[in-house]
Amino acid sequence: MNQTKVESWLYFFLGLACFLIPGGVAVFIAYDRGISFAPVFMFTGIVIWGGLFWLFPFTFGKLGKGKKKVSFDERDQLIHKKAVMAAYVVLWLYFVAACVIAWCIVGPHGSISVNVMPLTLLGGLVIFTLVQGLASLIQYGRGGKDGEK
Amino acid sequence: MAKNEITNQIRRLRFENSEMTQQQLADKVGVTRQTIIAIEASKYSPSLSLGFRIAKIFGVHIEDVFQYEGGNS
Repeated sequence: MNQTKVESWLYFFLGLACFLIPGGVAVFIAYDRGISFAPVFMFTGIVIWGGLFWLFPFTFGKLGKGKKKVSFDERDQLIHKKAVMAAYVVLWLYFVAACVIAWCIVGPHGSISVNVMPLTLLGGLVIFTLVQGLASLIQYGRGGKDGEK
Repeated sequence: MAKNEITNQIRRLRFENSEMTQQQLADKVGVTRQTIIAIEASKYSPSLSLGFRIAKIFGVHIEDVFQYEGGNS
């Protein structure tokens, strides 16, 4: 498994974790105290996501040291490009859905809290990363299993 | 998704060249072993420059390495 594939798996599970962990924390706190969990959800997600993104360059920098073999060639570049394109398409659909759903829920004369805006942004970031990882894994899977040496 | 119309003789050429491994060929042409695997399985069509580099490693023309099997559309 090359480094790009490892990163794709990490992005995929990271995206899942960003849904499950903040969601679990938010439900627990909301159930325990009966308070609105929107700010808690936003804060938890930003802390986890921002913290892990900050740590990743140091982690992968250390893992990549000393390796002389090619780890990212033209095929990896093509897969990465297609995965990013797919993630942007889904991001756009997510943005459209967020706008339409909000309008459907509150109606043409309603209003929503401004706290929804950074939450939407965070959700878009998570979905982008999740889809990019998933698209990369699907393309690598279509490339066939490891063959004989 | 249409089946890849380009086939290749890389596996045969590797065995004819001192039983070269996929990793050795990958190192010589500057790609990963997974890319060589995908090319041999006709799951990935290499770029023109990569195709020429592979042919040069085996000392043959590129037509002896890759064959196009697409018919008339």
